[in-house]
Amino acid sequence: MKERKIKLCGMEEAARYVENGMRIATGGFSVYQKPMAFVHELIRQKKKNLTLVGSTHSIDADMLIGAGCLSKIETSYVGLEKFGLAKNFRRAYEGGEIEVVHYSEMMAWDRFLAERERMPFYTVDFLGGSDILNKNPEIKPFRCPMTGRQMYAVPAANVDVAIVHVHAADQYGNALIQGRHMMPQSMNAAITRGCETVIVTAEKIISNEEIRAQAENTIVPAFKTTCVVHAPFGSHPTPTLLASRTDEGFFRYYADISGTKETFQRFLDRYIYGTKSFSEYLQFIGKEKLEELKRGI
Amino acid sequence: MINYTLEELLAADMSRTFKDGELGFTGLATGKAAATYITNIPLAAMELAKRTHAPNLDIWLCGVYANADWSSLDRMPESEFEQEMMYLPCEAQEYDYPATPYAARGGEVSFGFGSGVQVDKEGNINSVCIGDCRRPKVALVGSIFLTEHMALFGREYIMMPHHERRNFVEKVDYISGVGFPGGRDGRAKLGLRGGGPAYIYTPRCIFSFDEAGKIYVKSIHPGVTKQEVIDNTGFDLGNLDNVPTTPPPTEEELRILREEVDPKGILLRMDHR
Repeated sequence: MKERKIKLCGMEEAARYVENGMRIATGGFSVYQKPMAFVHELIRQKKKNLTLVGSTHSIDADMLIGAGCLSKIETSYVGLEKFGLAKNFRRAYEGGEIEVVHYSEMMAWDRFLAERERMPFYTVDFLGGSDILNKNPEIKPFRCPMTGRQMYAVPAANVDVAIVHVHAADQYGNALIQGRHMMPQSMNAAITRGCETVIVTAEKIISNEEIRAQAENTIVPAFKTTCVVHAPFGSHPTPTLLASRTDEGFFRYYADISGTKETFQRFLDRYIYGTKSFSEYLQFIGKEKLEELKRGI
Repeated sequence: MINYTLEELLAADMSRTFKDGELGFTGLATGKAAATYITNIPLAAMELAKRTHAPNLDIWLCGVYANADWSSLDRMPESEFEQEMMYLPCEAQEYDYPATPYAARGGEVSFGFGSGVQVDKEGNINSVCIGDCRRPKVALVGSIFLTEHMALFGREYIMMPHHERRNFVEKVDYISGVGFPGGRDGRAKLGLRGGGPAYIYTPRCIFSFDEAGKIYVKSIHPGVTKQEVIDNTGFDLGNLDNVPTTPPPTEEELRILREEVDPKGILLRMDHR
């Protein structure tokens, strides 16, 4: 008898689903619950010409840009919120090294709804007069066939690979969301719905029985998941709900070291190229710090 | 003579513009000046209005938390989705995003608060870049939710923590949020359902837009000269001779702000008290 497929694999293997030139989406929102362990592996594997698609981005985009992995980003925000500007993004955008396509925040989510429905576009009526519309030839104006009103067709996200980091999953690829949660966790749901290749990284791998005991919280059912990777602290330095907090000190350090190309190169050499895996990177962060990030959660 | 701060002046003035039964929307901005103007002054103003003429004003924070209770906080949170925020006491908490599409798209948000690095005489705002957006001189953070604010909300309060010539320009370099290009008629032709900018609050004055959609100076703050406003605005303001002074907060408004709305001084600074 054949056994049910175990989708658990290593980060190195999972990152190979991303090929040069692909369109990818990272889950989470802004500076929260970003799949950073996966981002690191993309950098280690020196991916090129990727397009990052989403609603709000922070260190995920900034690190990929600084490492030369992205040629394009489609987003409504790249910044580090209270930790300041995303300096690699800023440098690359001002230097003409990356194409930035500006979408507004809600519309950027709409693109994933279109993808979920397998529709080529989402209908939006609120773009008239904006440069979001005027500077983006991919958004097509059309007349509403019902009312004659001016509408705009916003292209579906069209993502090749979606990557989300969750607090728990099983080896078959069932991934959990917390019953009480917030927007970054909702984003994880949104980007996986329409995508053919979904990679789940998880703080912990739990048994199928434990999943069954709270089936109402399964946000990515196994059939949607391509592979699942065990990645403790896999969103560091961004927080994961019910798992770890923001590493504020590291974020400030990152905001500082990404200030110039030279210092950022030293960061990459030490923390990413100089380590074989995310768990090796976590040794730099240190046990004490990691325990502190879990305290009171 | 009552002592009050600029922030109290703005909060009190703004609170009088809210109507009973409205729905106000604001996010948690980061950075001291931005947080003061985009989050703290609006929250203080809305809480003041609730305690005076608008008990049915509902406040939505981050589009997630309805009528949150601040009294348990000792400082304003700086992160919208840190775990602690999930337990902020409130009446309703939206889980799924966009948490507010039914309210935003449905035209149920009465007003919101936004900002940008540039605002122009048509009331357009820019948070994307300085220079050409294909290769900008200065890259900013992006449009975020401003496009939706300016297009879908009943009205928008543009909150500008800095009022210098470089912030108040003839024409913004990138239109993140649309004001009144070609006046109110021009805006109507764009098919936008929301009302667009209603006021611009700055440390020097308050702007508004007339029936034609033309910007004007509504009032100048006590202690600020007309010449100062002219010198620090990058477009022509016309004759300011009849512009009134921004009315100071009343004793009762100050008492409510200080004793009821913000007794710990987490919204507005307390150094004057």
